[in-house]
Amino acid sequence: MRKKIALVTAASMLASVIALSGCGGNSGGGSASQSPTQAAGGTETKAEGGGGETGSGDAMHLTFYYPVNVGGSAAQLIEALCNDFNAENPDIVVEPVYTGNYDDTVTKLQTAVQGGTPPEVFVSLATQRFTMASTGMAMPLDDLIAADPDGQEYIDDFLPGFMEDSYVDGQIYSIPFQRSTMVMFYNKDAFKEVGLDPEKPPTTWDEVVEYGQKLTNDNRYGVGLALNSGSAQWAFTGFCLQNSENGENLMSEDGKSVMFDTPGNIEALQFWLDLQNKYEIMAPGIVQWTDLPTQFLAGEVAMIYHTTGNMANISQNAEFEFGTCFLPGGKRQAAPTGGGNFYISNGLSEDRVQAAWKFIRFMTEPERAAQWSLDTGYVATRQTCFETDLMKNYYEELPQAKVAYEQIDIAKPELTTYNAAEIWRILNDNIQSAVVGDATPEEALKAAQEQATEVLAEYQ
Amino acid sequence: MKKKKAIGAVITVFAVLLGLLWLIPLIWLVGTAFSVPSFHMTLFPTTSFTLDNIKYVWNAIPFGTYYINTLILVVCTFAVQFVTSTMAAYALGVMDFKGSALVFAVIFMQIIIPNDVLITPNFMTLSELKMVDTKIGMMLPFYGSALAIFLLRQHFKSIPRALADAARIDGATTWQTIWRVYMPCAKPAYLSFAVISVSYHWNNYLWPLIVTNSPANRTLTVGLAIFAKSKEANMQWANVCAAAFIIIIPLLLAFFVAQKQFMSSFVSAGIKE
Repeated sequence: MRKKIALVTAASMLASVIALSGCGGNSGGGSASQSPTQAAGGTETKAEGGGGETGSGDAMHLTFYYPVNVGGSAAQLIEALCNDFNAENPDIVVEPVYTGNYDDTVTKLQTAVQGGTPPEVFVSLATQRFTMASTGMAMPLDDLIAADPDGQEYIDDFLPGFMEDSYVDGQIYSIPFQRSTMVMFYNKDAFKEVGLDPEKPPTTWDEVVEYGQKLTNDNRYGVGLALNSGSAQWAFTGFCLQNSENGENLMSEDGKSVMFDTPGNIEALQFWLDLQNKYEIMAPGIVQWTDLPTQFLAGEVAMIYHTTGNMANISQNAEFEFGTCFLPGGKRQAAPTGGGNFYISNGLSEDRVQAAWKFIRFMTEPERAAQWSLDTGYVATRQTCFETDLMKNYYEELPQAKVAYEQIDIAKPELTTYNAAEIWRILNDNIQSAVVGDATPEEALKAAQEQATEVLAEYQ
Repeated sequence: MKKKKAIGAVITVFAVLLGLLWLIPLIWLVGTAFSVPSFHMTLFPTTSFTLDNIKYVWNAIPFGTYYINTLILVVCTFAVQFVTSTMAAYALGVMDFKGSALVFAVIFMQIIIPNDVLITPNFMTLSELKMVDTKIGMMLPFYGSALAIFLLRQHFKSIPRALADAARIDGATTWQTIWRVYMPCAKPAYLSFAVISVSYHWNNYLWPLIVTNSPANRTLTVGLAIFAKSKEANMQWANVCAAAFIIIIPLLLAFFVAQKQFMSSFVSAGIKE
């Protein structure tokens, strides 16, 4: 009898455990797939004063979450910048908290919001803004900008290519901070070796093929693209921008619909497969994002599509002469932007919001933004950055770095929608199935379109 | 007889080959950690020996603090688990009380819940207790272990009642019985759980990252992530390997020193279950 009762109880417990783990997984499990109501609820329960308790003296403590994506020294730079800010503002103490990579940061953020202790300020992907806005994790900044004497001037100073993906429904939710774009790095020595002019990098897809064929030999591929999940969608945004009828992006501006299966995009994906299978000038299968620069530096691939975040690494380590250039165009030249922005948490008291805003303004001052660009390889975010001596000297020393800045004029935001993490996954998965030969480009993108439309249906 | 020997030799050769195969990542890691960074990926280092990688990563993050924190986390967690699990296992395996099967079923079911799922609920509890960003908060959810209770209970059950009865006839109290009879007999179970617990907490990343904010409370894995997760540019394998080397060396040494005991404890724990 006792055994029977135990068994029944065990079974019912099991059922509830499974139910529990299901919902727990939703809220704790990384990326942007959380339920909006849950996160919003968490914000409401947040006590005034949030993350940092008022410590010694009267100083207000602010918590600042930041991810690091360009190696060890960036963390130290952030800490140093925060110390500078604290020294300059004795009434505010910003406590920087390293939060892993972008995905970990979102996980930690969601957990902290639900636990009632969100950070006041955080850096997250620009592409997360729809999620941040719809879940109520971040607040719109328009009132702050309007109240700031030179607020509008400040916003107008950001490069439009970067500022473009700060808006949700016409409101500004984030301020550009660590931003990058994709450029082409090419091996000038290899160009010379096969009789190509090293000062004339490819400008069109046809030239990519032509040059690639010349550059490919037994030990070297002509072209390199990282097609792994998490990177493919970035490069794909670029190729689709280059090949769409009127330069349309992969998504609508309101982040509520995607245009994956247009003829231009299908052609773009077909072009990737042709590089691998038809012309055989790109490594077959899937090359990892983090391995591609290494292969370039080893001379195993002559032209790569990669982030400007790699500029310092490549310029320090290349044992050959290298050049950079705009991404070659299909119907036109275009490139995607990427990277992280500042956000302010929702539901803070007024004085905390003000302090957070002050901190963001401090971190994005032209001199500082220029220095941050030099130290990390990110592109400086403001026009006035490029008038600083710091930036001028840098470009003189390393003209290759300037290409990224010039390219921002023709750059567009990378794929962003509501529930961006899920849409990214859908596009990546389907691109991969085309790359490994399980689907034709048309089938893959049609499937991606269908799945994405279904996910986005709830936001219409 | 000869045939048997031949089979034995084949098995030995196969085992050695398999062992070498498993050793490859370790060889590569150590080689890369101690040589000048190179862009050609090779199993054995092709560039000259250097300590710069180790020096660079050691100075880039406060490894000293992280080491102490990780040690505190691992040792304290296991020490508390040792006490709580022993008592729970004794109660469930030896003392026959009403509803013990039910209690055991409930505890046992925790084994099937992955720890990552519990991150948010645990965080919320800690947040209410104002224990976020404390070492005790980082350890608290692990003070009871369903796996340890399960392992020990099964072990205690297999120990003949007569041993305990004999001790009691000689005048031993319950505590003494546990201490002198049950615990020594269950040594293999304790050892295998120690390995599981220590390696799990040594390697755990997401929970310490989420529950701690200040460097004063963070662990080695969080420090490693600064190098291993810098995805935006390229993987700096020399730094990643150097940091990983610093982190794995204590466990690696412990394994080499106590290898025989680990193996025998796993084998005997496995057989008796």
